Amino acid sequence: MSTTTGKAAESAKVQAGPGTAKSPAAGPKGSPRRRKPSLGMQNMAGWLFSTPFLVLFLVFMAVPIIATLVMSFTDFGLRNVTHPLDANFIGFENYTKLFSDEKFLKSLFNTAYFVVIGVPLTIFLGLIVAVLLNNGIDRARTFFRVGFYAPVVTTIVAVAVVWRFVLDPSDGLVAGLFSEVGLTAPDFLGSEKLAMPSMIAMAVWRNVGTVMVLFIAGLQAIPTEVREAARLDGAGIWQEFRGITIPLLRPTMLYATVITTIGYLNVFEEPFVMTQGGPSDSTLTVSLNMYREGFNFFHMGYASAMAYVLFVVIMGITVLQLRLLKDNTK
Amino acid sequence: MPRIARTASTGIGIAVVLALGLTACGSSGGDDVAADKKQTLTVWAMGAEGEKLADVAKVYEKANPNVTVKVTPVGWDVAHQKLVSAAAAGSMPDVAQMGGSYMGEFSELGVLEPVDAKTFQEKDFFPAGWKQGEVDGQAYGVPWYVDTRVLYYRTDLAKKAGITKAPTNWKEMQDLATAYQKKAGTKWGLSIQPSALDTVQNFYPFLYSAGGEIVNAKGDVVINSPEAVKALKEYGSYFSKGLSNKSQPPGYDVVKDFGNGRVPMFFGGPWHVTLLNEGQPQLKGKWAVANVPADKSSVSMAGGSSLVISKDSEHKAAATRFIKYLTDTKGQADWYKRTKDLPANTAAWTSGDLADDPDLQIFKKQMDTAKSSPSLSNWTEITDKVDQAIAKVTQGKASAEDALKTAQSQIEGLVK
Repeated sequence: MSTTTGKAAESAKVQAGPGTAKSPAAGPKGSPRRRKPSLGMQNMAGWLFSTPFLVLFLVFMAVPIIATLVMSFTDFGLRNVTHPLDANFIGFENYTKLFSDEKFLKSLFNTAYFVVIGVPLTIFLGLIVAVLLNNGIDRARTFFRVGFYAPVVTTIVAVAVVWRFVLDPSDGLVAGLFSEVGLTAPDFLGSEKLAMPSMIAMAVWRNVGTVMVLFIAGLQAIPTEVREAARLDGAGIWQEFRGITIPLLRPTMLYATVITTIGYLNVFEEPFVMTQGGPSDSTLTVSLNMYREGFNFFHMGYASAMAYVLFVVIMGITVLQLRLLKDNTK
Repeated sequence: MPRIARTASTGIGIAVVLALGLTACGSSGGDDVAADKKQTLTVWAMGAEGEKLADVAKVYEKANPNVTVKVTPVGWDVAHQKLVSAAAAGSMPDVAQMGGSYMGEFSELGVLEPVDAKTFQEKDFFPAGWKQGEVDGQAYGVPWYVDTRVLYYRTDLAKKAGITKAPTNWKEMQDLATAYQKKAGTKWGLSIQPSALDTVQNFYPFLYSAGGEIVNAKGDVVINSPEAVKALKEYGSYFSKGLSNKSQPPGYDVVKDFGNGRVPMFFGGPWHVTLLNEGQPQLKGKWAVANVPADKSSVSMAGGSSLVISKDSEHKAAATRFIKYLTDTKGQADWYKRTKDLPANTAAWTSGDLADDPDLQIFKKQMDTAKSSPSLSNWTEITDKVDQAIAKVTQGKASAEDALKTAQSQIEGLVK
């Protein structure tokens, strides 16, 4: 044991050259023969084992994040792809332009619409399904759990095929149901009013499974004694749900709400594969708008500014949610 | 919820472009290897062409044993991004296939070698094909194949609807669409795209036939001209009258609906002939192609691909020779046999299948007058504004006049 750690530490010294990772030389240098490696050695080993992650993180996360920030203050466009240093610093111009850009404001509104309707629906349905599957049907429980989770692990392209069939106004599933009762189905994806609700329905269907799994885990963590005690005191199912299940699920609910909100604020796939943002930009979300500005029109500076605005919005909302919802649990 | 990573990954994409760009500075061509020295040519071709070109390369290698041609097929969906990344990284292939709409961008990036005027001459090619490879009067691409849109229509259903000849003008086309729907029981009358990216490609046959343009030869924006308004009104009427579907999912396959009779008419390119023959064999003899129904005249859009040489290439002489091989009369006829891509070289049309096939003559006739779009570096962005105007009209949100007035001012801001 001790020798391997020693060797690892030795090689760490060789590999971790200056600047790779600050080595916190806390203790005195230990000799490899000693049984118990010193604190410094242990730290070295720790750094060594985290090096692959740190390198990847620096190269693929930190550098791009900073580069994007820098780019958001420039007019980086197509010609700068071959001459990046010719891009001009234009201060906050991209940012000020964003807030007079009708298209961006519309995409911001669409995203807000998506989140405000989509998140509560997802959480609510996720909770209902979790409670039902945790208690009710005993036999087919696994089957139903898998059923609700399947959309989460299915690729969006396959999902799109299914949903297009469901929503097709002429011979889709919903259209069929409508004509059964003698009505004509509306054109869900072709109507400006209905396209976004259709997107939300699809996203909720795709994400309920994730939330359900979280809630099932939360439900199973509630000690049975608490429930039994409540029942002995004569609590009914509804009272038990309100008095025990909901309060004890608060931390789970906080987590589920935060990650669902972040996910929905970034929504991209649904409109990308189903409508490309149409009709008339009614399903254009911030992420999709950003993608188009960046990769269709090569307004990289502008798209970067958009990315940072979205980042600030997400951070703000997350902090707000943590504050509001956490206080309630006390 | 993997979407959390999305913003970050977009950022990464942008940064990678930046990072690659930083390494690209300072590379330059210069040392050119003589054409008959031993060397390897790298070639990028897209879609179906990418796969077929490898066969041609093998034939070429036999005749030119000093040259090894390495063909890399690239999917159309990733072609643009891959080429931009390659341009940024200074790692463009020696020879690349480029769509007409790319030319403006890449010449602006300064990665294209001007066409050798001694080897390739404008008069050998369709004017619209040659124009596509030109930016500001300088040719950067040699036309490889051309395409244009013509009207595909179901003759069997037309007969059922009581019409036996192809529509030649706008009124006849709309009458036919109505008759298809009313008398032959088809779901729609004509398939044209209502909105989303590249809708403008469906609009061109209307716009050009009415005598309109987006940006004219002088560089003025003219999308709100009376001709353009008239064209968009006509286009929009198909939607307001319920002759065309107001919503079309991305990736919609018109061939299938043409096969099952839900859509009896659409504007298609030459590749649709192959798609119909192979994908809908039961339709044999039940459809035909016709020239774009005329308003002032019958003018369709010209598309196609050019072959370009990278400015940084060290094999320019050999690359020129290879492109010459692909674009001369013999090479073009051979290419048509393999791919059914229409030859850009007009002389290639005078022999064999190309001279005899009546359907091809429709394409040839359309090609003679077809119009290509100007090579502007932000053309995608410009057409996006037109796409939006079309969407407003097809969804009944604005009149053609108002929608195009907005597009006019937006595009003026982009052209300057």
